[in-house]
Amino acid sequence: MIDRSDDIIIKTIARIFVPFIQLYALYVIMHGHYSPGGGFQGGVILGASLALLLITHGYDEIKRRIPEGVIILLGSVGVLIYAGIGLTCLLLGGNYLDYGQLSVILHVDPAHARSLGILGVELGVGFTVMAIMYSIFFDIATGGILPEDQKREEKVKREG
Amino acid sequence: MEVTLFIHAADDAFRILENAKMQAVGLLDTATRLTSETRWMEEKKVQTILKGAQETRSGLQNFLATFVMLMAFWALLSGKFDAFHLSLGVICSGIVAYLSHDLLFANVRVGDGRVIARRFLGYIPWLLYEIVTANFYVAYLAVSPKMPIDPQIIRFKTKLESDISWVTLANSITLTPGTVTIDVAEREFMVHALDRKVAADLDTGEMEDRVAHIFMEADHIYIQDVLDVSRIFAELKRGI
Repeated sequence: MIDRSDDIIIKTIARIFVPFIQLYALYVIMHGHYSPGGGFQGGVILGASLALLLITHGYDEIKRRIPEGVIILLGSVGVLIYAGIGLTCLLLGGNYLDYGQLSVILHVDPAHARSLGILGVELGVGFTVMAIMYSIFFDIATGGILPEDQKREEKVKREG
Repeated sequence: MEVTLFIHAADDAFRILENAKMQAVGLLDTATRLTSETRWMEEKKVQTILKGAQETRSGLQNFLATFVMLMAFWALLSGKFDAFHLSLGVICSGIVAYLSHDLLFANVRVGDGRVIARRFLGYIPWLLYEIVTANFYVAYLAVSPKMPIDPQIIRFKTKLESDISWVTLANSITLTPGTVTIDVAEREFMVHALDRKVAADLDTGEMEDRVAHIFMEADHIYIQDVLDVSRIFAELKRGI
């Protein structure tokens, strides 16, 4: 299991940089339809910032900010957003992910609707990638055993 | 007869006196206990007031400060100032600031932020000058045929007090060619130096003094802003 780092330099630098890394990740996601980047890249950066926090500040700190359940939920919600936008386009009579059809719901011209549709899809992709990246890292780091489970097992072992 | 009566009377008087003394001692005891109890309660009350004032001040302030910094960073990155992108920026900065408002200002020492920023900006040219001169010296060591290096590891205790100043000093040492910070633990720096002269330069402690000056640890003027004093005085006047 990963414990918090004792190195004061790494801890302090991580503490100062994590908010900016997270904001940069969100910037990459939100501007995916204008500039290089997008949901996947931004999601990876966001997951990396969480991994950095996990390495430097330990599991408890992460759990206090974003519980494990929320991360798993975000992973599913991202897929839901992606599939939902795609299916909405399908139901409106276009192809799957044919964003132009969204202009009917959003009351904007088709070009603008495409832009917003792509933004929504990027957001979904970003959420899922962030959650899965973090989950993979977390599972490798802990060997799939949560600290709570470990404590409970030890308790059972002690008592029995 | 007279004598026995007198003795009895004296005995009685003595007993009464003894009783009075006991009562007085008891009274004094209770009085002391009461004062100490009230004092303890008063102290506790003052402590909670101080703590509450500090916490309410720091929580919201940290959130707002983080939000403003992140929003500025967003504007710098985005470069689009239409309503749509700015509102995206506000939402994103809000989320990140909510998630990590206690990270950026975790163990910040009390001091005027603007003064620290100004002093930090003033420190950078000096550091750059040091880096350039050290570069020339290390280049001289590397190209001179005898290569007169004398690698050594030096340890020293620092007088700096906060983690941010330790990190600034450690990174400044690493940035200067010829010296590398190996470890910082328990206020003790372990530094690898390439040469006796480089080590001696480090040993003068000029860099440490300058870092202490940035973070206001040399001049103890950071007391003034510790707490919102007026509120505490008002509470003290009213309550106690």
